[in-house]
Amino acid sequence: MAKVAVVGAGMTKFVRRAQETGPELSWQAAKMALDSAGLTLKDVDAVVIGSAPDAFDGVHMKGEYLAEGAGAWRKPCIRGFVGGGTGVFSPIQGWYHVASGQFDTVLVVCEEKMSSCHPHPQGAFITIFDHITERPLGPNLLWIFALEMNRYMTVHGITKEEIALVAVKNKKNALDHPCSQLGAELTVQDILDSEVLAWPVNRLDVSPASDGAAAIVMCAEHVAKRVSDKPVWVEGVGWHLDTAYWTNRDLYYPRYVEYAARMAYEMAGIKEPRKEIHIVEPYDPFDYKELHHLEGLLLCDRGQAARLTADGVTQRDGDLPVCPSGGLLGVGNPIAAAGLMKVCELFWQLRGEAGKRQVPGTPRRGLAQAWGDLMQVGTVVILGR
Amino acid sequence: MREKLTNPDHVRTWPGTIPVEHVYTVGVAGEAFLRAIKERGRLVAVGCPGCGTDYLPPRLYCERCFEKTGEVREVEARGTVDTFTVAHRDLEGHPLEKPQVYAFVRIDGTGGGLVHRLGEVDPDDVHIGMEVQAVFLPPAQRTGSILDIVNFKPAE
Ligand SMILES: [Zn+2]
Repeated sequence: MAKVAVVGAGMTKFVRRAQETGPELSWQAAKMALDSAGLTLKDVDAVVIGSAPDAFDGVHMKGEYLAEGAGAWRKPCIRGFVGGGTGVFSPIQGWYHVASGQFDTVLVVCEEKMSSCHPHPQGAFITIFDHITERPLGPNLLWIFALEMNRYMTVHGITKEEIALVAVKNKKNALDHPCSQLGAELTVQDILDSEVLAWPVNRLDVSPASDGAAAIVMCAEHVAKRVSDKPVWVEGVGWHLDTAYWTNRDLYYPRYVEYAARMAYEMAGIKEPRKEIHIVEPYDPFDYKELHHLEGLLLCDRGQAARLTADGVTQRDGDLPVCPSGGLLGVGNPIAAAGLMKVCELFWQLRGEAGKRQVPGTPRRGLAQAWGDLMQVGTVVILGR
Repeated sequence: MREKLTNPDHVRTWPGTIPVEHVYTVGVAGEAFLRAIKERGRLVAVGCPGCGTDYLPPRLYCERCFEKTGEVREVEARGTVDTFTVAHRDLEGHPLEKPQVYAFVRIDGTGGGLVHRLGEVDPDDVHIGMEVQAVFLPPAQRTGSILDIVNFKPAE
């Protein structure tokens, strides 16, 4: 397979409600990504659009709706969707467009406008549950997370205080992100004192609903060498789908993340991920999910991620910086755009362009991961320089 | 082979809806467009400084070359019927009291146009190429919606 580079990245501010329409947000991010690579729309051979359920924006066939702002006019275009996993799946689609040899330059654009959905996007989430056995109970998406968090905490004997450290870290990191919605200096006690939504999940354990877009430019080696003096390379990709039958798996461990990660590590020739991955952007829509995913990514033993956090290992200046961007908890969570924001962050970090967020020690390789659907999709991208 | 079910009561079902409503922001370009309609009873268009493509309704950016578009300009709310249909049924399939003409109107001096109702004309008299003009609600009744245009009618 042909080598694939990332040569540009861009994103909008993540906000609770943007005045811009979805296509306008998409254009802002896509234009910024192209400008940063010194390219124009003429250089783009194909477009990949990532966006989560149509019900959020309230537009059916959202790919077609966003296409004009994503630069897809008279170009081959595909819209991918694997729920919350979409933002890291879209660059995988961009990768195989280029790795196949079919396209030299691909623009990948992810957008979400959750503020359109009233009274709350939870109303759209309700129909993802089983119509017969679950939906009659009136479930809320927070319940799923609460069930999973409780199982995870109980199996490993982890406390809410230990988990809240993740929210404190990520919201603090986000203070340094110019696009962030919820950067804040908070204490563990602030998290614990916030309103209980569905025990053990409190309001500050959760990322917000957001509007925003993010984009990257991916290209073949011969293009990358011409247009960029510091391309970042796609070293590994992996994706995996587990069963939607909850009753047949144990929620305490995300096996689908492990399988996606193993696929990416194998492609990247990584034998010891704990030594060979230098920055991680795991999916953190809830604080415990960062811990859960670090374990699924095999970056620590099961049940040990809380310890790493307490020891400061996952701080920006720690041995394994985790969510130096500020993550979904701090930067915000416009679903698909939030996942791609993590890939943008790796791009900026590996090029030494992350400004106040820059991880010390010139990291060479980073991993971004997202998760979604009915809690059974794992998507992983490894970038290196 | 199974017989086709013609009565849904013959299988066990459970009714449900997706309980959401949507509030759509009109966007940066949409704001300029609807403001001109509401405040001045005018249409606005915008050109692309990069490739010259002209947009009505206006756009924030050019989809063809990705340049940011410039300042919007006011245009006469007049144009030509590019194509039309005569609707006889409503969204639920019920007969309309009176057939309604819907036309795509190319707006003079712009690269675009609007789909809207035609009024003050017998459906049998409508033809492609017909010159029409917009009829606006009185200023006090306008809300900043495309429905501030009541319809298009034969040009005076
Ligand atoms: Zn143009």
